[in-house]
Amino acid sequence: MEILPILSTLRRHKTTAFLVILEIALTCAIVCNAVFIINQRIERIHMQSGVDEQRLLHIALANIGAGKDEKARSEEDLAALRQIPGVVSVASVSQVPFGNSSSNASIKLDPKQRIATTNATNYFGVNITQTLGTQLIAGRELTADDYMDMEDVLNAVARHDPKAIPKTVVITQALAQRMWPGQSAVGKQLFMSDYGFTVVGVVKDLVRPSIWDDSIAGYSMVLPMRVSNGEYVVRVDDPKNRERVLKTAVAKLKEINPHRVVLKQHLLSNMREDFFQNDRAMAGLLVGVCIALLVVTALGIVGLGSFWVAQRRRQIGVRRALGATRVNILNYFQTENFLLATIGIAVGMVLAYGINLLLMVHYELPRLPGIYFPVGALSLWIIGQLAVLGPAMRAAAVPPVVATRSV
Amino acid sequence: MRYNLTLAWEGLKRYPRSTILAVLTVAMGLAATMTTLALLHQLTADPLPGRSGHLYLAWVDTVRAKPQQNQSLNDITVENYHRIKWDDAQVLLRDHRATWQAPMASVFTEMTGDGEHAPHRRDYLLATTSEFMPMLGVSLRSGRGWSAAEDAARAPVAIVDSDMAVRLYGTVDVLGRGLKLGHGVFRIIGVTAPFSPQPHFYDLSAITFSGSQRDMAFVPLGALLDAGVDLASSDACDENGPKKSTLFGTDAAHCSSLSYWVDLPDGKAVADFRAYLQHYAENQQSLAGYGKSARAELTGVGAWLSKQNVVPDNVRLNAWLAGSFLLLCMANVAGLLAARFLRRGAEIGIRRALGAPRSAIFQQHVFEAALICLVGGVLALPLTLFGLWTLRLQASGFTDLARLDPAMFVALFALALVVGIVTGWLPAWRASRVEPGLQVKSA
Repeated sequence: MEILPILSTLRRHKTTAFLVILEIALTCAIVCNAVFIINQRIERIHMQSGVDEQRLLHIALANIGAGKDEKARSEEDLAALRQIPGVVSVASVSQVPFGNSSSNASIKLDPKQRIATTNATNYFGVNITQTLGTQLIAGRELTADDYMDMEDVLNAVARHDPKAIPKTVVITQALAQRMWPGQSAVGKQLFMSDYGFTVVGVVKDLVRPSIWDDSIAGYSMVLPMRVSNGEYVVRVDDPKNRERVLKTAVAKLKEINPHRVVLKQHLLSNMREDFFQNDRAMAGLLVGVCIALLVVTALGIVGLGSFWVAQRRRQIGVRRALGATRVNILNYFQTENFLLATIGIAVGMVLAYGINLLLMVHYELPRLPGIYFPVGALSLWIIGQLAVLGPAMRAAAVPPVVATRSV
Repeated sequence: MRYNLTLAWEGLKRYPRSTILAVLTVAMGLAATMTTLALLHQLTADPLPGRSGHLYLAWVDTVRAKPQQNQSLNDITVENYHRIKWDDAQVLLRDHRATWQAPMASVFTEMTGDGEHAPHRRDYLLATTSEFMPMLGVSLRSGRGWSAAEDAARAPVAIVDSDMAVRLYGTVDVLGRGLKLGHGVFRIIGVTAPFSPQPHFYDLSAITFSGSQRDMAFVPLGALLDAGVDLASSDACDENGPKKSTLFGTDAAHCSSLSYWVDLPDGKAVADFRAYLQHYAENQQSLAGYGKSARAELTGVGAWLSKQNVVPDNVRLNAWLAGSFLLLCMANVAGLLAARFLRRGAEIGIRRALGAPRSAIFQQHVFEAALICLVGGVLALPLTLFGLWTLRLQASGFTDLARLDPAMFVALFALALVVGIVTGWLPAWRASRVEPGLQVKSA
């Protein structure tokens, strides 16, 4: 096509051409990285929890004046909750997914290890995996024989008596892979401080209650301990019954002991939403910024395009008078924009890659996947073409007779 | 100058559409940048102006355990709040080598009033010793602080925050009333105005940033331990210490659970105190056999905050992003300006032909660019306030600090002006290069 004449024209408009290239390069660099960060956030928001979120409720009661009858009171609560129509399963638990506070432990492959292999969270509670609805993929669930009372275990820890401490543990697949890559975890031993635990089962997923590092979000263990601290998880038969069951459950618990304070009552799906509130807000903010960026760039191209057309009206008229068709004129401006956009995109890609490297070093972001480059380039070419279409059409509409006027 | 300003103003009015577009673009870029910078500014502000400069966190490692026993691989950062044990704190207090000094720990616990219905709340209180008031600059609304003698006697006295007083007793006039903590009753001897340095630098493990969370009461450490209230968390414990019967409780005597802050007026005092601490660490005979070197550190407030990375990465990332957005807006406005300046090629040519020097043309156009950006700055103000308001709606602990203070307000206009001049530079330079003769001919 007529690339050479376009290039020689551009050489006479260095300032404006430079500004268009700069706009496109900056947009390309910033939007690629912003979209990448947005995707990271979205991935985090949709993190697998491994539990039956749509059917779960969480209730936490304040434990005023904890006494010896705590266990009996907890049993009474559980029995009452089980009777509510629509309730499938109930468990007294130590922590819940997305609950924001967690108990964690360093775990080792060998008791003599000086530095632990990794860190995982501990879930305690009878039937907790069954109630949460986690999926067992190897070995077995914890059974009645495994369980011990939390209080007895703590006393045993204080006495340094390994006999009264549980011997079994169920872990997640992610943790199993971290500890014994490529092997079956069932039957293996892991250690917390000096105490050994045999892995009897592996569940597919079970997310940590508080996630400070996404790469270890799935490192969870379930220890066979009975807890009675007034924190309950309830699973219902149908998500439609959730609200009703929650209301009934709270009323029932209040009925059993009117002096108790209900600290928390949630649907688990709401807990998830609250947990990722900041990530959602941040993603939303970035989407807004990206759209603003693209609009601003497009407007900038429209502005400069219009100026060029206005400046070259006479020249266009001459070309028309010499036999150039409207399509020729249209193509001229589109090709010009395409050339500028291509240079801008090339510079922008290098910039995008550089920014990503900086982010990798300072904010521990992963490498920008290659797919962003072609997609980014294509989007900018399209935006450029759309933005220049208006001014180009106006240029094509210039009648040949303009050539005869002395402007 | 006046003439140039008038010309610039006339210029603005000549192409209203492109003026509006340029002003809006600048305003958006400025508002995005200022919103994130205002938050960053609040988060990195000096927590106690005038005092932070001579406050230091003193730390000695006297935990009788092998080093690094709680660390794990897998790139997990082990929190290290540089706390010391109560036993060591008592020795340092007795030696009293600093102007002021106090060990402290924020404890989340149940506080109960002594009214008929005994209202109670779980909240933070600061367990410390008598010198924390002059050291941190906590001011009293009424009553008094406690004395070193009361510290030694482990007297159950308390100072409450005026908000807490109202919540528990319905009034700020609470001197002499009882505050139940653990299994003890503390007599209230003072009421403070809310004391909330940002960040909560003296105990980052409890609270980092918050407009609403703070230490709601202050009590002598010894008395609080006597009342059976456990300190919240610890960096590490002695291996040979007595085992506790509770899982989460911390034994203050054998676990490092106290931040020890000292006030040192000058460089000499700092050097002396550092030497003293090092000497103290070296004399820990009981550490023999644990394979530890004598470690002691003295860290100033600023160094401490940057070491602990208290400003969330998100906030910095957003500031960078907004800054690059502003850069793009500037490139755009430069494009718009170049277009409009060059459209006036003919008249610039005439002015040049009539003897106007290049510098005059240049000045006129930079003025016009600056004017556009200043108008953009005015528009950015409500946009920034709106941006900060939306930030405050998010509940992420620190966003309630998102406010525009006067310094940032001035900075906004300075930024607008700088942006205007930088943005206008290239288009104005281009305009001043217009050849006089050529334009006159074609016109």
